[in-house]
Amino acid sequence: MDDTALYNEIKSTTGRNDRSLVLTPFEDLKGFLACHLGRALLFLITCSSVLAVFLIFYFVIRESIPFITHNDISQFLTSQHWYPEAEPAKFGALSIIVGSFYVTIVSLLFAVPVGIMAAVFLSDVVSFKIREFIKPVIEILAAIPSVAYGFFAVLVLSPWLQDKFGFATGTNALNASIVLSIMALPTIISVAEDSISSVGRELREGSYALGATRFETIFKVIIPSAHSGIIAAVILGMMRAIGETMVVWMASGNASQIPTPWWDLSQSVRTMTASIAGEMGETVKGSEHYYSLFTIGVLLLILTFTLNIVSEYFLISAKKKLGKA
Amino acid sequence: MKYSLRETCDKTFTVMTALSVILLVVILVAVLGPMISKGITAVFFKSTVEFRRMQNDLHDRGSIEKIDEQIAKANIHRDYIYSKIDSFKMGIDTSFFKQKVKQIYRQFGNDLKSNNIKGTELSDRRKVARQIRSDLEKAFASLDKAGIIELIDGIDQHKTDHRITGTVAMGFYDLADQYKAIIKDFDLSKRQQYAESLGQVEDLLIKLYGPRPEDPMPALIMDRYGATRYDLACQLLDKILWKEHWVQQSPDQPMVSTKLPRVADFEGTEIEDIFFYIEDNFQQSIIPKATIYWQYFIDDSTSGHYFGGVGPEILGTLILTVLAMAFVFPLGVVAAAYLVECTTDNIVMKIIRLSINTLAGVPSIIFGLFGLAFFVLFLLPFFGGPSKPCILAASMTLAVLALPVMIRASEEAIRSVPQSYKEASLGLGAGRFRTFVQVTLPAAMPGILTGVILSLSRVAGETAPILFTGACAFGSIPKSLFAQTRTLSYGSYDIAVGDKIGMLVPHKQYGMVVTLVLLIICLNALAIFFRAKIFRRLKGH
Repeated sequence: MDDTALYNEIKSTTGRNDRSLVLTPFEDLKGFLACHLGRALLFLITCSSVLAVFLIFYFVIRESIPFITHNDISQFLTSQHWYPEAEPAKFGALSIIVGSFYVTIVSLLFAVPVGIMAAVFLSDVVSFKIREFIKPVIEILAAIPSVAYGFFAVLVLSPWLQDKFGFATGTNALNASIVLSIMALPTIISVAEDSISSVGRELREGSYALGATRFETIFKVIIPSAHSGIIAAVILGMMRAIGETMVVWMASGNASQIPTPWWDLSQSVRTMTASIAGEMGETVKGSEHYYSLFTIGVLLLILTFTLNIVSEYFLISAKKKLGKA
Repeated sequence: MKYSLRETCDKTFTVMTALSVILLVVILVAVLGPMISKGITAVFFKSTVEFRRMQNDLHDRGSIEKIDEQIAKANIHRDYIYSKIDSFKMGIDTSFFKQKVKQIYRQFGNDLKSNNIKGTELSDRRKVARQIRSDLEKAFASLDKAGIIELIDGIDQHKTDHRITGTVAMGFYDLADQYKAIIKDFDLSKRQQYAESLGQVEDLLIKLYGPRPEDPMPALIMDRYGATRYDLACQLLDKILWKEHWVQQSPDQPMVSTKLPRVADFEGTEIEDIFFYIEDNFQQSIIPKATIYWQYFIDDSTSGHYFGGVGPEILGTLILTVLAMAFVFPLGVVAAAYLVECTTDNIVMKIIRLSINTLAGVPSIIFGLFGLAFFVLFLLPFFGGPSKPCILAASMTLAVLALPVMIRASEEAIRSVPQSYKEASLGLGAGRFRTFVQVTLPAAMPGILTGVILSLSRVAGETAPILFTGACAFGSIPKSLFAQTRTLSYGSYDIAVGDKIGMLVPHKQYGMVVTLVLLIICLNALAIFFRAKIFRRLKGH
């Protein structure tokens, strides 16, 4: 095949008839612009998540400003009287804030031990095969939508609790806490398992070689060295529980009160998320009540943002530690 | 520490960890078990003839001849029960008789006038009739059985009276005889008790068999039909046959419910046997048949989800999720591509990563507030749209929520494409852009699809973000993107706590939530399957 035939073939397949190796200034500029403008465009699209976070903060805070400027914020945080539709209206969110923490902490009391033990089981006790069977169980638990958990709490768990323990009402702090802990479990297990199983083999083997049992190895070697990841797991589980809306709205009874005595789980409580969900539909846009709900939203946002940064810190420090080891 | 103690500790610990995992499985079964077992009865159940009648009336399903034939068969038994009850009711509630007597008396008077009877004869005839009337009324009002029979016998003596014979007043005697026959085995002192108990039975019969054919059609569709399901019919039968009775066993204990046979209320009366009749001919009077109501997934529902299916809810959920994915897919893939391909580890990247993590941690109700404040109250009016909740606002809110899920999944997928692919492509002279579009992206596509499926399942189940941005509990199928829609998630909430009618139809409650849960589990199973496939393929290389 001579050069002309080859040239014609290239021409017919590529549709171009000449291809000089030196770009004209125009082509050079075009290429430069395409590369950099394209990059800039991609960068802007990537920044959409930053923009979303910014807009969320901006708009939620903007809607809460009329309330913050018109009302005494210290009273908002310390008073227990939440009567937004009364005359005169009272906005004391203490019992609502306490309610959020109350159900979250009670749910973690159950979810953290069970979650860590399950994580240990998955990473250190069973074989890979069995793990493959248990993973989908956790994934399905994580995938079940919160409204379905709420449904379970109202129609299955609540009558059962009322029946078994003789509570005055089945929708109470205990009910909400149980279901919240079920919802927090998958998060805790998967993050804790990640950090436990990424503790190096040599640490485990060193411990076993010294004659330690599995119990001792896990408690004295593995959990201490994986503690950052486990703390991050607990915080992420806490975020899941504190930000959960449908379950607490449906299961907690929505009575704005602090349980007295404080350990009485059979009383109804109300949380920040449930207050927003339950009352926003009934307020007039632009009323004091409407702005106060956004203020609760700001509190919630700041709270979860802080928790997020703390968990991020622990996750990064866990990674660093493993990198050094 | 002693060795045996350490051994025990170790064993106990192992068992506890195993127990905690078993607990997880138990929880999963406890949550899904009742939902699925009850929810499935929304589609698979035994239907009664009332169900077929309803389906034919509302949706024109089934052949009308067959249904009419079945109704005729069932009506044989129903009519018997109704006729028995009607005749017994006359003994309880004599207002029917009283009215009839008045009617006859008035008719008698009119007849006299139109026959031009005047003077003493008129007053004489009237007097006799008035006498009979007042005796009858006394008899109807009396509770003394012997006295009644005496009164009626006294009336019967007038039977041959020439002033009465041949006129409408002969109706008095028929009434008197009828009444005598009814009260023959009737304890008049228990009249009040009979009335109460029979009223309950009649209410239950209306719920079981539907309103009687001769009664006017009730306004609400849910009142027009009897028990449409066999399990519901069995419950009603149980309530008809057995009366619930609350007993206080000891002063401090809560009341305990016991069951008393209702037939005891009517002991010795003529309707005593209809209870046995209802029980014996129960199957024939409702004609149960196993049914697969697959139209549950496409049918609209009547008010309060009493009848019908979840068609509009499924449609609404699909519209919202697909729209949200349409918004988030390009954003997510591009962002992930940029994060993998073009980044250097600088402060800007740290901020982007931090915001993705923040976005993933924002509570879903905050997305609802944000959607309300930004999309509904700011963006839509800004572009001249109506400032009210709508599908568009809801789907955009959900898109923001799904953004971190989508970015993370796509990033992982793009990262997992072997470096050798890219190097080969670059080595052949392709540019970075071309390499990404023609080599990396196709190779990462299954992973990205997994991400899409996971975001879909997340979006489909969310309720809080759409509470104020576009979900509603009632309403027709949306005509445009600026209308509100029903969704499975909000519907599940509403039917569980919002509506009292929902409590009457548990299969509808569970059916709704199980549709949602199964949809999401199927999506997740698909994602797990995809992931396993990719994993195998990457391992093969």
